[in-house]
Amino acid sequence: MYAQAFFVAVFGLAAIGFGVVVFRTSSMVRSALALLFSQTAVGCMFLAMQTEFLGVLQIMMMATEMSIMAIFMVMFMMDPGGMGGMDMTHQKRFSIGAGVVAAGVAIVVAFWADWGPVTAEAPDAAMQTRALGMELLGRSMLIFETAGITILTAMIAATAVAIPVQTTANSADKEDTE
Amino acid sequence: MTLVLIVALVTGAILCGIGVYGALSQTNLVMIMMGVELILAGALVNLVAFWRFLHPESYSGQMFVLVVMTVMAVEMAVGFGVAIARFRAKGSVEMEEAGDLKG
Amino acid sequence: MNFAVVLVALLGSVWLLAVIEGWTTTGRLRLTATLLSGLAYLGRESIVPRTPDRVFFETAPVLLLIVAVLGAAVLPLAPTLVIADLATGALFINAALAYVLVALIMAGWGPNGAYAMIGGWRFLGQLIAYAMLIVMPITAVAMRAESLVTTVIVVSQDGLWNIVYQPLGFVLFFIAAMALAFRAPFDLPTAPGELGGGVDAEYTGVRLAVLRLARLTLVITLASATTVFYLGGWHGPLLPPWAWSLIKTLAVAVSMLLAGRYLPRIREADLMRWCWILGIPLALLNIIVVGLLVLVVP
Repeated sequence: MYAQAFFVAVFGLAAIGFGVVVFRTSSMVRSALALLFSQTAVGCMFLAMQTEFLGVLQIMMMATEMSIMAIFMVMFMMDPGGMGGMDMTHQKRFSIGAGVVAAGVAIVVAFWADWGPVTAEAPDAAMQTRALGMELLGRSMLIFETAGITILTAMIAATAVAIPVQTTANSADKEDTE
Repeated sequence: MTLVLIVALVTGAILCGIGVYGALSQTNLVMIMMGVELILAGALVNLVAFWRFLHPESYSGQMFVLVVMTVMAVEMAVGFGVAIARFRAKGSVEMEEAGDLKG
Repeated sequence: MNFAVVLVALLGSVWLLAVIEGWTTTGRLRLTATLLSGLAYLGRESIVPRTPDRVFFETAPVLLLIVAVLGAAVLPLAPTLVIADLATGALFINAALAYVLVALIMAGWGPNGAYAMIGGWRFLGQLIAYAMLIVMPITAVAMRAESLVTTVIVVSQDGLWNIVYQPLGFVLFFIAAMALAFRAPFDLPTAPGELGGGVDAEYTGVRLAVLRLARLTLVITLASATTVFYLGGWHGPLLPPWAWSLIKTLAVAVSMLLAGRYLPRIREADLMRWCWILGIPLALLNIIVVGLLVLVVP
């Protein structure tokens, strides 16, 4: 039990540390990769809490997602290398206050609520994967299908928004200059 | 055993707090999205801790985790599509210069 | 004990693969050439670019090596010879190999050089192409085995290897594995003639030795994954199980090398187009066919 508490605490501290680095560093790629390692630490916390499938899934998905975020940062940010020393924040005190209030309320609830009896044993990892699969395709089939349709809609929407629109006005301008 | 539950819940709370700070204080759309990712990561930690320590017999907890992971991916995809469109129209994705979208 | 044996087998396979690679490029079979050139790397001057991103520059080769070894840790050589028999082994390989991208982005951004950066971002384009083609054939393999445990996957191929049962999946997985290991013809990240070495360009000395070792280990890990998933792992008539695993792994790795020597380099835009327009429908077709076979054939 204490080993599990130790590992969860270590990975939790790693996740929080990398999360702080995300907003403290001025280099954009470092920021994106710090977020990646923060999410990996969260995935390792899942592994420490004996949910093997969810932990491996989190680690796998976040590596790819955050790397794509890294290239979008390089595309869109003014100073991707971070060597210019710009301050890219606004309403700093309000947001620090909001963050502290959010975390504080959650911590107070965590300490004061009566969580009831805490289960000591977790199911075996192979059994968990099997049971999750049965749950996914049995009782929660509607949720699974809805998630699939949502992902398809999001893919179509993102592609449609990102395609450059060639209107007659644009093409007329181009013909004039050529 | 409640010790591990409390440790996990406190970690989730702090991650959520850092995410709220990031989402509110950054001026760039991509950085705001990183803040939102941190909030969702905090929520995921809480969900898994609740599943493992309070209700390991019912797998709806793990199902919820899968749904939140899906939402993270989907929100990132659509957000980046919007960022590309905005960048093409305006040349920057800074929120300070986005006042013309108001009203 | 298992740990030591598997690591020794991994290093031995890496050395053999380097010897064979030297044989195909120079035409002479020299068994000690690899070791000597590896030692020569350690002795050469280690040049660091002027203003690198130090954290990324140092971490990238080490991360690539760790990723390759982690991937090999869940692959069995014999029924009990596996470092970590995880309950989600087939998914864990995927998770570990996703960090190849992170390592290459670090290696691309770290040295603060144009060619390296282009090489790194080109690998991201390749990832978008091969990512689905790696996961979907593994899904079909796990469907036949009804488990994600790698030893159970090998045991399920007892009568009929997966390459005969799911040939389409094998072809897609082989192509995606070559793209993941950025092996020719998908070696845009380190295009030797075009980008001046790309991701490898700014590394010298010890770091280059680690990077090259990591690349070869990655190829061996992927070849081992192909044998475990498609070629029946340790099954074979006369020799002991671990001998069959090693023979099959080396055969797959050598065929990846030879495929690279005879095919031209493919641009990542073309790779993305072919993988998304042709590859993903074929992978889904593979899953449907395997599902029908698993449910209908007793």
